[in-house]
Amino acid sequence: MKKERVLIANRGEIAIRIMMACEDLGCDYIVVYTQEDRHSLHVRRAREKGPEKRIYRISSYKDPNEIFAVADQAGATAIHPGYGFFSENFRFARRATLRTRPVTFIGPRWEVIRDLGSKINTKRVAKSLGIPVIPGSDAPIYSEIEAEALAEELFLQQREQGITSPSILVKASAGGGGMGIEEVKHLDTFRRIYRRIQNYAKRQFGDEGVLIEQCLTDYQHIEVQLLCDRHGTVIHFGTRNCTIQSTGRQKRVEVAPGFDPSVCNYSFDAPKVLDDITNYSVKLAREVGYDSAGTWEWVVTRDGSPYLLEVNTRIQVENEISACISRIRDREDIPVNLIREQIRAAMGEKLGFTQDDIFFEGTSIELRIVAEDVRRGFAPWCGTITKFEFPQEPWARLYSHVPMDKPYDIPTEYDPNLALAIIWGENTEEARERAASFLLKSTIEGKTAHDEPIITNLAYLYDRLEDVLQF
Amino acid sequence: MDLNLNELLRQYHANPYEDHEICTPHTGIVTFKVTEGQHTQGPSGQWLHKPGTLLFILERENNPKRITAKCNGQVAEIRHEFEGKFAEAGTPLLKIRHRLTKDEIIDRILTEVLTVFPAPQKARYYLPPDIASQMEKGGETSISIKPGDDVLIMSLMKRDTLLKYEGMPGIIYKVYFKAGDLVEQDAPLLGICPPENVQFVQKIIDRIKNEWED
Repeated sequence: MKKERVLIANRGEIAIRIMMACEDLGCDYIVVYTQEDRHSLHVRRAREKGPEKRIYRISSYKDPNEIFAVADQAGATAIHPGYGFFSENFRFARRATLRTRPVTFIGPRWEVIRDLGSKINTKRVAKSLGIPVIPGSDAPIYSEIEAEALAEELFLQQREQGITSPSILVKASAGGGGMGIEEVKHLDTFRRIYRRIQNYAKRQFGDEGVLIEQCLTDYQHIEVQLLCDRHGTVIHFGTRNCTIQSTGRQKRVEVAPGFDPSVCNYSFDAPKVLDDITNYSVKLAREVGYDSAGTWEWVVTRDGSPYLLEVNTRIQVENEISACISRIRDREDIPVNLIREQIRAAMGEKLGFTQDDIFFEGTSIELRIVAEDVRRGFAPWCGTITKFEFPQEPWARLYSHVPMDKPYDIPTEYDPNLALAIIWGENTEEARERAASFLLKSTIEGKTAHDEPIITNLAYLYDRLEDVLQF
Repeated sequence: MDLNLNELLRQYHANPYEDHEICTPHTGIVTFKVTEGQHTQGPSGQWLHKPGTLLFILERENNPKRITAKCNGQVAEIRHEFEGKFAEAGTPLLKIRHRLTKDEIIDRILTEVLTVFPAPQKARYYLPPDIASQMEKGGETSISIKPGDDVLIMSLMKRDTLLKYEGMPGIIYKVYFKAGDLVEQDAPLLGICPPENVQFVQKIIDRIKNEWED
């Protein structure tokens, strides 16, 4: 790889993981940070790397001008957006590519981000390829008569499937993040709710288009991890199960692989379903010319019916559990690192291995350790961490931006995510036991400004381990 | 009410200055437009629509941003080493020595007299929409509050929490923040005055107005 200088346009543990991947590849890197993050380990690690200017204070991670100004000043040749912030912003990726001084955007081509960033468009392309999507509209509806006819059909279909309490979702098509969504349980209330959402959509988003789809309630959230290069290689790294989430639909415990018939009884052929969704994901990736790391998100209902939800055109927080169970033939001594492979792909390198070279070993669990009060609706906690200790085990990796050698004030500007623990076991049972043991040996102490003790989700994570992979 | 106004005023008369550090709001290349010792003027005009003295230009991605003085004063210190150089966000570039105005003296002294509602956390704060619109119509001192009333919205880690007032009933005499400002913990947010003290507070204000020359 030619001499690259990667600007890491992110914070926290993902910034650290990108630094590690860059070091692996022999690339230099530049780190940005805000005043609130000045004590974060991502800043310290970059500072300790050497005397060369490598860290830049910016006003916000969400200001593209800040990122590009630093990229030019520091002579960056590429930008890694991590997850969140600019990772799925096709305008940012396009600007990186087309500006006077171009920089490589480490992610898919901007056209791919644009096309897959729209759930409606993804659904339309998927449908045209025969890939199952959640039954409902695949374009915004503006006519009440059309909407009601579709609602009636969806209720009828569910009754025919034997669903005793059918329901549908009415969504503002321009909405997102759970905004502008209502459930309709009886057809006779449909018009009222449809009009309410239509008005809301017009007011909030300036577009009164509405989507209607079947409401699924009993399902598992499964992901397929893909890695593609710019030479047409499309490889999958198996599946993950991300069903354990907070009330705000933020993942808390993830497992790879997505199903395990040795610990759970499924009413369907679980390996076949995983194969099917993997093949569908690969098919869609080939169709759109996908050329980076990405995640295909699915829901699988209790009867084993899969539906494509969306495509995340970025590296995911939980990518590492897929890497952790993956092996590349003849390179078994080198741990798989999807961020490293994503950077190589963005630089135009060939992956250099094929699907036949990939095999899987064991089960991996990710625990998202967060300062939050689960009992109060996962309310974020802020204060000062005074003790932050985790067991050192050969089967566990911990990623965190929280210093362990000095007190750390959790910045109030960001989510109070503290650490990611990645656990590996030869099988699901062992991974679960190890995860439980890891949590029991972890210590986080701290207090608020009013001297109240820290609240974390360690106990919640421990309790939820028994629900892993279960419907 | 125990307040030694004479002593407070004597202290302010002895040192009526405050140094304002001017930092870069974002990254960019700096070109100074003032020299040490130069007098600066804050925004002026009936609507404060005329910007203050141009202090420096910060150019980022070919967009020049004019950074102007927010207060009257005198340029006390300039970091010339940044002339023509790239500065990171939040870099202190110069200081303005500012003589406190009558209104600023009143604000400072009133924090000793009013019941202050301090920021419980470092967070961003807003007035609830009903209070904000009532204040817009009737002025800052038009709102009466009592214990249990929702008086502030605290925005922390992307979540909004309504804050209830727990002090003695009174009127909101002073709002110490701008909507959306990041406020340090324990910094004053609101100054509340019980109805029976309004006259006393007004007397203090009148006296400062008489004794302090802008």
